[in-house]
Amino acid sequence: MSTKVRESTSVTAGVPGHVDHAEGGVDVLDGLGQRRERPGRSGDLFGPVWRFLISMRTGLWVILLLGMLTLAGTLLMQASPEAVADPATYQAWYEAGPQLKYGGWAPIFSALGFFRIFTTWYFLALFGLLASSILACSINRAPRLWRVATRPRTVMTDAFYSHAPLSAELDLPLGVAAATEQVAASLNNDRFRVLASPGTKKEANLYADRFRWGPFGTVVAHLSFVVIMAGFVVSGLIGFKDDSFIAPVGVPVEVGHGTGLTLTALSFNDSYYDDGSPKDYVADLVLSRDGQQVARQETRVNDPLRFGGVWFHQAFFGVGADITATADGAAVFDKTVPLQWKSTDGQQSIGQFEIPSRKVSVYVIEAASGQVLADLPAGTVALEVHKDGVADPTVQLVEQGKSTVIDGVTYSFNRNRQYTGLTVSHDPGSWVVWLGSILLILGTCLVFFFPHRRVWARVRANADGTSHVQIAAPLKRDPAFEPDFAEIVSRITGTPE
Amino acid sequence: MLVYSQYAIIAALVATVAAAVTYTWAVFRGHQEVVAASATKQRPRVLVGSGDGIDEFDDLVEEPAARPVRNSGPAPASLGRLGSTLAWIALGLLTVSLVLRTLATGHGPFVTQHEFAVSTSWGFLAVYLIFEWRYRARTLALLMLPITAAMQLYALSWSATADPLVPALQNSLLLTTHIIVAVIAYGAFAVSFAAAALYLGSAWLPESVAHVLPKPAVLDRLGYRAVVIGYPLLTLVIVLGAVWAEIAWGSYWTWDPKETASLVTWLIYGGYLHARVARGWVGKGAAWLLVIAFASVILTFVGNAFFGGLHSYGVTR
Repeated sequence: MSTKVRESTSVTAGVPGHVDHAEGGVDVLDGLGQRRERPGRSGDLFGPVWRFLISMRTGLWVILLLGMLTLAGTLLMQASPEAVADPATYQAWYEAGPQLKYGGWAPIFSALGFFRIFTTWYFLALFGLLASSILACSINRAPRLWRVATRPRTVMTDAFYSHAPLSAELDLPLGVAAATEQVAASLNNDRFRVLASPGTKKEANLYADRFRWGPFGTVVAHLSFVVIMAGFVVSGLIGFKDDSFIAPVGVPVEVGHGTGLTLTALSFNDSYYDDGSPKDYVADLVLSRDGQQVARQETRVNDPLRFGGVWFHQAFFGVGADITATADGAAVFDKTVPLQWKSTDGQQSIGQFEIPSRKVSVYVIEAASGQVLADLPAGTVALEVHKDGVADPTVQLVEQGKSTVIDGVTYSFNRNRQYTGLTVSHDPGSWVVWLGSILLILGTCLVFFFPHRRVWARVRANADGTSHVQIAAPLKRDPAFEPDFAEIVSRITGTPE
Repeated sequence: MLVYSQYAIIAALVATVAAAVTYTWAVFRGHQEVVAASATKQRPRVLVGSGDGIDEFDDLVEEPAARPVRNSGPAPASLGRLGSTLAWIALGLLTVSLVLRTLATGHGPFVTQHEFAVSTSWGFLAVYLIFEWRYRARTLALLMLPITAAMQLYALSWSATADPLVPALQNSLLLTTHIIVAVIAYGAFAVSFAAAALYLGSAWLPESVAHVLPKPAVLDRLGYRAVVIGYPLLTLVIVLGAVWAEIAWGSYWTWDPKETASLVTWLIYGGYLHARVARGWVGKGAAWLLVIAFASVILTFVGNAFFGGLHSYGVTR
């Protein structure tokens, strides 16, 4: 007997578990010779649209186009979410950045949306097309996968046995029934499930497989992409993200966004390594609702505070100035102004606040940490008051603990106060994305690590009472099946390989 | 201990280069022997790529009697084994270097560009050697070893000072798993690139040179098997990265340049897997996709040093 282990005739080696249409294949169950005209199937109601969606080529081009656009988004400057949302901010960003960097190309790129690629209509449409294509493909292929797994064909043709990439023929000194049992035993030994078709005294056919649910990994993996995309949509539509939430130390701040929570930073500590690089940022945060404490945690970058679906991430920190403003005896402003910005020469820290009722916007300027400025001594802030409709701002210096009056408003600089900057978010979409990710990992493992192995065997009686066994397997779904196949065959003959 | 770690990298570079030279010499000797054998009308039709020998070396060993012609030089098979040994030594030295570095810094060797590059060269070499062991495709070494050496040189061009872990990176579970998986994925993709490049080379080079390479069908399947390893791992890298981003930065996806570059890479390999099924994309088209995809891997790899963004750690030269 011989074990002919031949390479497949064409180099298609399709995606494991995938029903491929490549020429030269052997596996007749893979739909070769059966073209896609299936009258009466509901999919064909949409005709060309359906065929477009289920076409592998469509999928390929959508993926590659998405890849190219994403690459452009990596290489070209991209506007921040704030700039995308507000035309004035976009314009300012555009003039300061892309216009200088890309010169003549800048207006063209801008018009095409290349500086905000991930929010353009065509990018999102491609994702929509991808999702539709995936759903269509899954609906199209799942029934076939189901049939292959649950009602596999057990009798194969001569052509199959002669052309299979893995095949063996041997004679056993046994009757048909006994020989079939031996074949089945060898397969069972390798944990194959064996299905025998009703045979005669002259011939028996059997089919054996392992990991028959493996191919469904492709369905699971592909559907998981749709789940993940849905998660992105949910994230975009529901929930909130505030990435500039300032919590001055010791001052309760309302979280807002309908949470009913109040956050107080009891302390903030930043520590550094000897080389000056940051070592640890930790904020002791307390959450309360209706006056009752509901959570408290030392919050670090990799250890956010989580409560009721709202996450508080340590993001930045700084020093602020407690400013109070009163007009006509009533307080119109009483907050810590975070000095979040630096002047271009790095010597001054700057904060800003507004008093809409007085139509003023005020800049608070202080010497940056470690800077010694003659006109801005330590413990002093400069208040630069801009009033609507008035060209020149009024600038006054205020010492800590003192006040000044500008245009009928009394501004007091009470003290400096450290603040911690948090990202506060509530993202129900993230759970959808995690679910999709788990499905994706599961599906991918199924596809790549549990490929569907199938073996067919035919036992025919010889004239002299012995049996002629033909056994064959396709190679495409599991290119590494070769050695196992050889082992199965050697077990049938009883000889070690 | 950091100093010894550096010595080990340099030693590994030397071993890698020596291995590359040895392999090239081995292939050349194999080529010589086949030419010589055919000159004496004895054509041991080298079963390149089928049976149990995947390329030149194995089958020539099986047929000593077919070479009556005097060959000046060592047998290709023994050169091949020497090259393999040198490659394993290089891997051992890299492992030593990474272990010493971990002991010295207290965290995985993944934080600075230097560390990440050494880890990646480890990944390249490790996956290559696994492929060499399983599939005996030693001609892949013609590309894999130079690539590994280049990565080691790149590593040495970055400052080797051990940057302490900034707060954002202080998550040792995710730091280790996210990047170890990435390093192995990169290794698998490098092997797929080597297979694809050799595939394209064998089509483009004349037969008198190209015969040393495995059959195109074999190279094609090697490339595919490498992607089968790398693609699920890259998927896991992106997912783990998203998990970490959510914990540390409050958002699982922010179109940060490195995140996005890894998505580009993932999409191109995804395109490759689909291309293998779509008619007309088999063979050359697929091989070109693998080359482009690997370019994307390199872009992702160096990206965090040049794109800025949230991923730019440890970028002091």
